[in-house]
Amino acid sequence: MSKPTVGIFGLTGCAGDQLVILNCEDRLLDIVALIDIRDFLMASSENDEGCPLDIALVEGAVLSRRDADKLRAIRQRSKILVALGTCAVWGGVAAMDRGKDRARLLEEVYGEIGLTYDSSPAQALHEVVKVDLGIAGCPIEKEHFIAAVAALLNGDTPLYPEYPVCTECRMRENNCLLIERGELCCGPITAGGCEARCPELRVPCVGCRGPAGDTNVPSFVAMLEQKGFDRQQLAARLRTFAPEGVAQ
Amino acid sequence: MTTIAIEHLARVEGHGGITVELEGDAVANVRFDVFEGARLLEPLIRGKRYDEVAPILSRICAICSVAHSLTSLKATESAFGVRVSPQTELLRELLYRGESIESHALHLFLLAVPDYLNYPSATALAADKPAAVLLGLRLKKLGNQIQEAIGGRAVHPVNAVPGGFGRVPTLDQLIALRGSLMQGRTDADAVIDLVASLPAADFCHSDTVYAALRSPNLDRYYGGDEVMVVSNRSRAIVRAADYRELTNEKAVPHSHAKHSTFGGNPFMVGALARLTVNPRRLTGRLAVAMKRLKLLLPADNPMDNNKAQALELIDDLDRALESIEQLLRAGLKDERPMPVHPRAGTGTAITEAPRGLLIHSYTYDDEGRVTAADVVTPTALNAASLELHLRRAVEQCAERDEAVISKRLQMIARAYDPCISCSVHLVRKR
Ligand code: SF4
Ligand code: SF4
Repeated sequence: MSKPTVGIFGLTGCAGDQLVILNCEDRLLDIVALIDIRDFLMASSENDEGCPLDIALVEGAVLSRRDADKLRAIRQRSKILVALGTCAVWGGVAAMDRGKDRARLLEEVYGEIGLTYDSSPAQALHEVVKVDLGIAGCPIEKEHFIAAVAALLNGDTPLYPEYPVCTECRMRENNCLLIERGELCCGPITAGGCEARCPELRVPCVGCRGPAGDTNVPSFVAMLEQKGFDRQQLAARLRTFAPEGVAQ
Repeated sequence: MTTIAIEHLARVEGHGGITVELEGDAVANVRFDVFEGARLLEPLIRGKRYDEVAPILSRICAICSVAHSLTSLKATESAFGVRVSPQTELLRELLYRGESIESHALHLFLLAVPDYLNYPSATALAADKPAAVLLGLRLKKLGNQIQEAIGGRAVHPVNAVPGGFGRVPTLDQLIALRGSLMQGRTDADAVIDLVASLPAADFCHSDTVYAALRSPNLDRYYGGDEVMVVSNRSRAIVRAADYRELTNEKAVPHSHAKHSTFGGNPFMVGALARLTVNPRRLTGRLAVAMKRLKLLLPADNPMDNNKAQALELIDDLDRALESIEQLLRAGLKDERPMPVHPRAGTGTAITEAPRGLLIHSYTYDDEGRVTAADVVTPTALNAASLELHLRRAVEQCAERDEAVISKRLQMIARAYDPCISCSVHLVRKR
């Protein structure tokens, strides 16, 4: 069987998810041997920018016309399109408060010239094209990437936890930051899969993996309000990595 | 007019390109174009509480995420007058070393070396010369191990919080790191051997102004708050609070990165600048290695930044070991973060990210909410100097052969180790 052709791309993000791929140090050369990477600008100066791809891995959010055009072109040439990381899956940090007046912000940062820049409110990939698989995380977990490659090579789809960070946190028998220390931990409403990385270190979860599958946000907010947190600020904080209205 | 355009600069972080316009034989215009979308994180964090700032702004850039997090914390702590413990300082310095090791190993072996040996990528290089790539991957992994143990994650650390660390690493973790670092040190000679064996990259000479953090004890990345700007003719000191002297930036139409100059001159930041500003780091093993690499300071060739990274890489291994020894000698304590009491005011922090000076400056209201934020990144600081060096390279290239010029330009741009995601984050208009 010929090796599947793969492209790895970045739209607007921080390159963190591509870096996680390069961080698979021990397995990198093995992975590279199993797939045929045709287009990976961050790692190679010899890329085929037009060939059909079996798998496209795309990091970052859509923040400009240029990003949107690039994403559509990737979609056209790919059988399977994978959204890599919370920016790609949910919009990520650049999408927070995306209702704000962008022209004003651009002008504020860059001066008048900013108004001429190609810039649009951050969108998750699936708001622009069809996405076949999302791997959330800011950045993605290395093991999730390896599992995805293994599954896709076998024609399967990998499954990732939909239960919240809290479930993993309890399994690790941590003291609850929210209940016992009154700290604003987003664990109850954030998708697990990170083994409760932050609460394990006594640091509240900031929600970097995006919303959990089936959580009751209103009741969570009500509970926090009872604990004395301000409703508006709560709402903003819960939307840091995934703005309102990005349904999957 | 002829135009040489490198539309997508490969093997760098982020999206950028280079355009050169020639008028006959004369260089009319050189541009480092930045195509990265504007994420506008600085204005978006206005109104956020102080504990939200570092996790959001670390997302400016993955490869420098430790530097962004810790510079952010340092600025916030400075605004609130929080003094962290000596143990926290040591752990933060160690975390910086981890990032520097990872970043330099990635850049040198996976992104830059393939150029010198005429390969398009590290994977292609690995097919013929696996040892070089495996060496890079080993060191890169070691840097990540440090970041995981101290920062809680290799990319976007979670454990560093205002006032200290969520959880101090355990004794066992430090001892394991010490073991890995001692093992890693045995690779130091191989690093220098490899870099010394590369063909000379001798196609751009220019007087260069360098700027770096003046280290109180000559070898800190995180501590200190004075920048020294060194040129052939002069030296100047800029204090953190006066950082705007370094960033009289102007927005330019071709890129979302503004251009910085000091006294009208572009300046270079990064590994080469650090060694130039703090030459007393270069003793013992480093001095010997420097001779082998034929590096003379102050250098007039930006390609020497690769050599400087190789020297820092082997130095970082030693310094990281030293920090661990110091931590163990002092007796590791399971400290909680220092209490943080917000107050109105401004805090500015400067540190040395792997690619050079990084500045975060915030103003807070009395409840500890951000009212203004400024982030100045090494790649933004370097943009003007990079364009100058690209111009010199074209001027000094005897052949008017597009392929030759294009390859040289790409090598210079990569030697700067640009981080283009970073470069779009800029200071506010004034
Ligand atoms: S999801 Fe996070 S790690 Fe990935 S590009 Fe976005 S900010 Fe970077
Ligand atoms: S605990 Fe929350 S913030 Fe931390 S890694 Fe997991 S999802 Fe991200």
